[in-house]
Amino acid sequence: MESASVALGHGHAEEHHHGPPEANQSSRIDRQTLGILLFIVSEVMLFGAFFASYFFLRVVVDPASWPPKPYELPVAVAGVNTAILVSSSFTVHYALEAIRRGNREGMKLGLLLTWMLGATFLFIQLNEYVHIGFSARDLAFGSIFYSLTGLHGAHVFVGLLLLSFATIRAFRGHFGPKAEDHLGVEVPGIYWHFVDIMWLVVFITVYIL
Amino acid sequence: MAGVKISEEAVFRWVVIVMVAAISVIALTLLTRPLVGALWLLVLCVAGCWYAYRWFMGWRRRGGA
Repeated sequence: MESASVALGHGHAEEHHHGPPEANQSSRIDRQTLGILLFIVSEVMLFGAFFASYFFLRVVVDPASWPPKPYELPVAVAGVNTAILVSSSFTVHYALEAIRRGNREGMKLGLLLTWMLGATFLFIQLNEYVHIGFSARDLAFGSIFYSLTGLHGAHVFVGLLLLSFATIRAFRGHFGPKAEDHLGVEVPGIYWHFVDIMWLVVFITVYIL
Repeated sequence: MAGVKISEEAVFRWVVIVMVAAISVIALTLLTRPLVGALWLLVLCVAGCWYAYRWFMGWRRRGGA
């Protein structure tokens, strides 16, 4: 009798269940990590299209010089900016290592440092745009320069938003040492590393080669 | 997450690898000509793709995601 009433109670609860059913998980990778990895694969394709345009303009259109005279790129400033962004990957990794060891203060410090380094990178890039001396309307060179660096800048902005959420949650005590308890830091961390790797490729392609 | 090889730690390792590769491309370009640096970058990209293909095939053999 008792078990029947429990079963009835359960059925009653199911009857009043709202929203979509629990998603089936056939993957050994958790949904959030798999989601960010698939997103990153699609982003690599997007960047690939922009790089293809860049090399088409540079190799096939074949201007006499690259960048076309009288334009010059601030390589030293971009180099310093690169160092800033690369170091932010180390700080986000430090944040994750800290929470894996149960060190919440270390995680907060790492996330805050990462956010500040990312914001500094974006500020320097915007400052570069202001002082660079050409616009997106100046030749195909200007268009592709602003497209590639702007696309990356937009990704840094999104990364900063994700890091902001992670930092706020960290200060509210949301994360723990167990893997499933700090996915909110792990997923933005993976995205941030992707943004970092893409910048290294953009920097070499646009400023060095 | 048990048994999963793809994590922030694995991606961070790739950041370090790409950083070292980037330094080698920058050094070669500054020491020689941009064309040499571009060719070295191409070699590194092909090697990276080959490694990714090998890793993916091994991952599928182990049962995939």
